[in-house]
Amino acid sequence: MSRYGRTGQLIRLAFRRDRFRILMWIVILAALMASVAWKFQDIYGTQSEIAAIKGTLASPGIMAMFGAFTFKGKVTTAEIFANEMLLFMGLIQVVMNLALSIHATRGEEDLGITELVRAHAVGTAAPLAAAAWELVIVNGLLGILYGVGLTAANMPGATLEGNWLIGLGLATTGLLFGFLGLLMSQIADHSASATGLAYTLFGISYLARMITDVQHPKLTWWSPLGWVEKLAPYNDANWLPVWLSLGTALILFGLAVMANNRRDLGAGALTTRPGKRHASALLRGPLSLLWRRQRNVIIAWILAVIIFGVAYGTVFNTIGDILKTNPTMQQVFGAAMVHEANHKVLLSFTSLLAVVMAAVATIPGIQLILKAHTDETRGWLEAVYARPVSRTRLFFSYVGPAFLTSTLAYIGGLGGIVIMGDASLDHVKDGISAHEFWQGIAGQLPEIWVFLGIAVLLVGCWPRIKTFTWLYLALGFVSVYMGSLLKLPSWVKNVTPAGWMPRIPQHAVDWTTFSWMIGLAIVLVIVGWLGYRRRDLQMR
Amino acid sequence: MATQPILQIHQLQKKFGRFQALKDITFSVNAGEVFGFIGPNGAGKSTTIRVLLGLIRATGGSATIFGQDVWQDSVTIHQRLAYVPGDVYLWPNLTGGEIIDLLLKMNGTAHSDKTDALIKQFGLDPTKKARTYSKGNRQKVALIAAFSQDADFYIFDEPTSGLDPLNERVFQEAVLDLKQRGKAVLLSSHILSEVERMCDRIGIIREGQIIETGSLAEMRHLTRTMVTVTLGDDFDVTTLPGVHGVTAGHQAHEWQFAVEDSQLATIMATLAQHQVMALQSTPPTLEDLFMHYYTGKE
Repeated sequence: MSRYGRTGQLIRLAFRRDRFRILMWIVILAALMASVAWKFQDIYGTQSEIAAIKGTLASPGIMAMFGAFTFKGKVTTAEIFANEMLLFMGLIQVVMNLALSIHATRGEEDLGITELVRAHAVGTAAPLAAAAWELVIVNGLLGILYGVGLTAANMPGATLEGNWLIGLGLATTGLLFGFLGLLMSQIADHSASATGLAYTLFGISYLARMITDVQHPKLTWWSPLGWVEKLAPYNDANWLPVWLSLGTALILFGLAVMANNRRDLGAGALTTRPGKRHASALLRGPLSLLWRRQRNVIIAWILAVIIFGVAYGTVFNTIGDILKTNPTMQQVFGAAMVHEANHKVLLSFTSLLAVVMAAVATIPGIQLILKAHTDETRGWLEAVYARPVSRTRLFFSYVGPAFLTSTLAYIGGLGGIVIMGDASLDHVKDGISAHEFWQGIAGQLPEIWVFLGIAVLLVGCWPRIKTFTWLYLALGFVSVYMGSLLKLPSWVKNVTPAGWMPRIPQHAVDWTTFSWMIGLAIVLVIVGWLGYRRRDLQMR
Repeated sequence: MATQPILQIHQLQKKFGRFQALKDITFSVNAGEVFGFIGPNGAGKSTTIRVLLGLIRATGGSATIFGQDVWQDSVTIHQRLAYVPGDVYLWPNLTGGEIIDLLLKMNGTAHSDKTDALIKQFGLDPTKKARTYSKGNRQKVALIAAFSQDADFYIFDEPTSGLDPLNERVFQEAVLDLKQRGKAVLLSSHILSEVERMCDRIGIIREGQIIETGSLAEMRHLTRTMVTVTLGDDFDVTTLPGVHGVTAGHQAHEWQFAVEDSQLATIMATLAQHQVMALQSTPPTLEDLFMHYYTGKE
């Protein structure tokens, strides 16, 4: 039996096991790409519309979020589309690939399924190879759907080559990070740690591309995530990034196979160390238990969001200096006007960042709340329930830290942006004032809390559909982040709490909206708590 | 034996949607008594225990521990209760030692000399992360935490399914010690020899119903004694009243059959007239009882 024996059967098994998640990802991603392309001619069809958005896309603030692209000659609808969508779709596809790859390898191993599979006549590297093929097929399928969808949408300025370049470019970027996930699954010895490692590297490549995009777009070649920006599908089609991604992906897969051959089943290159013989005096109840188990994750999230914010802050001096893009402005309008304009640009940039930070800061909170149910179904809470610990106490041991983590992460993230940003400016007065900072905090916290409240409600009352929380958060994020660029109708934004507040600190906080959103969050938590006290607990 | 039962269950029912998991569960456990709870997989043992722990809510009937309702007063009850689940799942990134201490603290007790003694007896390495423990080691963690606790009622749900024979013995000794100290124990188990050795009374559950409760001696009357006899003449034992499943033995005039207890005296008298050369009678084991009730046949 060769090392890859029966890989084919395992691939079929993988598709059967993951059919719903794969279907969901493919449908959502392909529909998103195709529907935006379909609609794009209505949004940016005329030359005046294109001229207006072209200026916006060239501003450093938008470059930091959507990537640096170069325009040549007459700009077409398709070019604007590529500029707005490429990096964004790439990010979602990376998230999909990391989730699928780690689930298919280290996740299966954690559950003991790999042990069962390997006890049969399958090759030693077959589970890994099957996971790799699963990723190749899923990304390939998505690439084809993108190519077909874009061709069908037939945007003005789109070329057949460009359409397929987008499809294959995104597919290979996805594959690269998917195979990174496979490698991390071999290095770490459980899936949580593999996910942490993979996301750390993903975050570094994101920040690298963001900073280089704003300051030296040529250096963006050093970040694998920056390669999607270099495809330039509709003005100067470049296939080099596709080959680079594919080559890197193959190298990563080779490393993963090597690591797989050298290690024992269930172990990783980073091994679990023995721990304490006794519990520390602080470990004494469900709350301290959650902290003991999740402290690394909680601290890592808060730090990551702060670093994220600080990295964005470093580009303040480029973004908040209109003279760099309009050198004649000072002579025409005078210094005071220029400073005023700089301040406006930074306020608008910070408002968009606040949306991103709020969405990112909500993630660890939702994770902690959903954990209350995951731990329940894994049987980890059975031992706790059998003690004199009330459900209320247990429930709030998850909910409390969740709200606190998200709140701290958001304040830290926005604080990182503002402090680092203001420090990078030559004229601090151009930057964000303390008052505007606190407005920014008050503007997004209610939204974060309502999202967490929904997670609490679902875990308390309808835990089976708890995944809905993620979809809802994603919808909220996309509707606000992309809403103005895609000119989405306002009702789309109002579907989720992300759109209920005006953009802050660009606008002032609406305290009426603030109050009822807080009220709503409290009601959601109370209803969820009452549901949790009443329902049957699920066990294995 | 104490008069006030520690656990009292009366016509307990539980429905999951349309599926009636528990139809009619009625039994009680007294102080100083080990109650064996046996039944096939899926009969409702773990469901019953989860109702008792207040993890799921009964849809009918009543269940009280220490005279308090298991759903309403679960927190109060749990102060004096210890539980070991059948499948022990532990937080993977904590060590066994940390988990034991934590579980004890959640009951307001602390790591004691007894805990150390138990860790030694069971042979557990408390510095290992729970992720690396085998099934048996995970069960040891839960057992050590339960036995270190000074509870009045102990619930064990198939606690020894992953233990080796040495640790099984440690477990049995610890349970007998509890019994001598007047504690009540509910032991759900598939290891019938263990139940036979330790339990004062037994409840048999099948398809969500308790079909029999009583001591092993009481239950034996409900079934038949196995008899192997070698006779000196050609007497045909099939003519005897109350004899079932007659088979011929390896030698001439050797017979094996089952006898209803009510007919035992008559049959022995008849056999005595036919030159009994060898006779063995075996009382039904718990396994025979088990088969008798579950298959509904002999």
